[in-house]
Amino acid sequence: MSLRSKHRTALVATVATVALALTGCSSGSSASGPADVDPDGDIVPREISWLLSRPADGGVITAMQQIADEYAESHEGFSLNLITTPDRPSYLQKYETLAAANKLPELFDTDATPFAQKLADSDRMIDVGALLDDLNLTDTYRDAALNYQRFPDGSLYMVPFEYSSEYFWYNTEMFDEAGIEIPETLDDFPAMCEALREQGVTPIALNGQDRWPLERYMAFYPFREAGPEYVQNLATGNASFSDPAGQHAAQWLYDLGQAGCFQKGFSSTGYADAQALFTSGKAAVYNVGTWELSNLATDALDEGVRDDVDFFTLPTIDGAVTADDEFVTTSGIGMAINAKTYDPLVRGFIEFALTRYPEIYASSGALAPTKTPEVTIPDNATDLYTKAVDQAENVGEKIAVPWDTQLDPTTNTRLQQELTLLVQGESTPEQFIATMDKTLSENLDG
Amino acid sequence: MLPRRSTLSVVVFLVPPLLLYGIAVLLPIVQSLVLSFFKWDGISDMRFVGLDNYVKMLTRDDVFWTAFGNALGYLVICLVLQLGGALIVASLLTALPRARELVKTIYLLPAVISTVAIALLFQRLYSFEPVGLINQLLSVIGLEQLQTAWLSNVDTVLAAVSIPEGWRFTGLYMLIVYAALMAVPKELEEAARLDGASWWQVFWRIRFPFIRPVWITTTIMATTYALRGFDIPYLLTGGGPGQASELLTTYMYKTAFAHTDYGYASAISVFIVVECLIAVGLIFLLLRRRDNA
Repeated sequence: MSLRSKHRTALVATVATVALALTGCSSGSSASGPADVDPDGDIVPREISWLLSRPADGGVITAMQQIADEYAESHEGFSLNLITTPDRPSYLQKYETLAAANKLPELFDTDATPFAQKLADSDRMIDVGALLDDLNLTDTYRDAALNYQRFPDGSLYMVPFEYSSEYFWYNTEMFDEAGIEIPETLDDFPAMCEALREQGVTPIALNGQDRWPLERYMAFYPFREAGPEYVQNLATGNASFSDPAGQHAAQWLYDLGQAGCFQKGFSSTGYADAQALFTSGKAAVYNVGTWELSNLATDALDEGVRDDVDFFTLPTIDGAVTADDEFVTTSGIGMAINAKTYDPLVRGFIEFALTRYPEIYASSGALAPTKTPEVTIPDNATDLYTKAVDQAENVGEKIAVPWDTQLDPTTNTRLQQELTLLVQGESTPEQFIATMDKTLSENLDG
Repeated sequence: MLPRRSTLSVVVFLVPPLLLYGIAVLLPIVQSLVLSFFKWDGISDMRFVGLDNYVKMLTRDDVFWTAFGNALGYLVICLVLQLGGALIVASLLTALPRARELVKTIYLLPAVISTVAIALLFQRLYSFEPVGLINQLLSVIGLEQLQTAWLSNVDTVLAAVSIPEGWRFTGLYMLIVYAALMAVPKELEEAARLDGASWWQVFWRIRFPFIRPVWITTTIMATTYALRGFDIPYLLTGGGPGQASELLTTYMYKTAFAHTDYGYASAISVFIVVECLIAVGLIFLLLRRRDNA
């Protein structure tokens, strides 16, 4: 290659690089200033899309489809395109990639994560708090349902569509055979597991493949010892894993692993397999939310265990700062509204949908995020159904927030990975804490 | 030398695919290179950080090195299964008097099954609770002590995610190697045998030199595919437990699409490109040199 052509190649490469860098730079934030929740103009019906992460045949989608059909009757040309990806990790990748490309549809699901906070901060989401106030709907929602959707600064950008509490479901007969009572404190868990292991049953069924279920266990001890603020402080760098709450949590999980609490190979057990371990009478305890009521508290449950199933709520610890009736109560993934595509039609449909939704949703036997109406208990329900619903209706103020919605994604992934190793006994609590604190500080600046 | 008109037509026919290649392959690589000097989450403004992503990758990130080590392990297992397996099966096939087509088809079948189906299949095979086929077989032959949750055990998981990938393409490479072996002149082999050459000598002195060009191509294909391996490990374990089956590719994917750290993910992808180029260079060097010797 001659000198001149070398120079020319270098020039072309430089120009291309600079052009790429410039186009890359300009695709950052685009919207300016928060959008008006009550935009002027007429409603012009068209198709709107909702990118969501919920079961395709679940209550939310069924109810919303019905509502969209009703709305279309009075607004010809309107339709709601529901694009669901129930698998959460796949959904998040889709949503985050679309957000980066600035191609999100009118409505999309998200938790109150640091990523969503960035979208809100760059005015790409509608202020749902202001919208609900404007529609006079704020007071109709359960406080816990709205609080779960709020960002740490208290702002609200997501609409809840569900409401559920998470309990430890257990097999009473297995507990009787092992001669044990339900654990009074979290510290009783290892002994409970050992007693159940002696009977030859798997103490706790765990869906390790989806990773969040094990992360729930990480949240329990710190919630009792230091309250819900601990994880928020972790996320902002004002707390560390080496704080007492973090240390005790790591030690507790290590002890659970050493006591053989979870089934062997739990890290590759999926949701359905883990639940089947419990419902087929092979495992004694299973931690899951009331969204599974139709499988755990109706005649859909295997006859062999149907009369032996009961539940207990998150046990306390000595010196707990949170009350017994405070535990994991969530309103599920929330729905955000894209500010870029917000117009009178979107507002009109949301107003119609949120007004109609509670009645239709509650009639399916599920708990609505609103205070009324009451749940319609299905005909095939067992007594446990009512008990579980009553319990969910009476929860305390503080929520044990799932950690995966609080931590930055990199720290969160590492935590999920390290938790598996900790419980499997591949690492010690000290190693776990050192690794996690290093990861946390590396990723604090976002 | 081609006549002038046909040189022109060659250029006319070659330029569009070349442009397409440039846009589809080279441009994204250059784009990744540029992006790797920035910190960008997809929403906020891009921030120029110079070489920090590379410094982080090479000095501060232990997951990266674990993933790199795992990727090499994955490569070795895949190559042994794919190339070794292909050579053995193809050699045996040449000695098979009949039903060659049937055997070839059976060996090729896994290559046409969808990856997701293969992942589901192996998930069931490896399962411990409920008991999968492998653990059942171990129990039948009285080796209960060897039963384990293959995908949850940090000592077995890397091999467990590599084997499906190796198994899957053995048939494909077998076909290529078999075709090359069939082209080896029979007279040469017969002459060598008459001179008293052993089976090994026939293979090493006659057959292998003949198939070497094909062997170089298959080695390059298998190596670059294995270095880019992603789908089966990702579907089976997602890199877990811990980082025991994390490969550079799965780590890069997570960094980009789960952690939304596009700059750092680009730095890892640049590393993967360089790694593939070095691997191809090494293969050429090693196999060529032996050729000249």
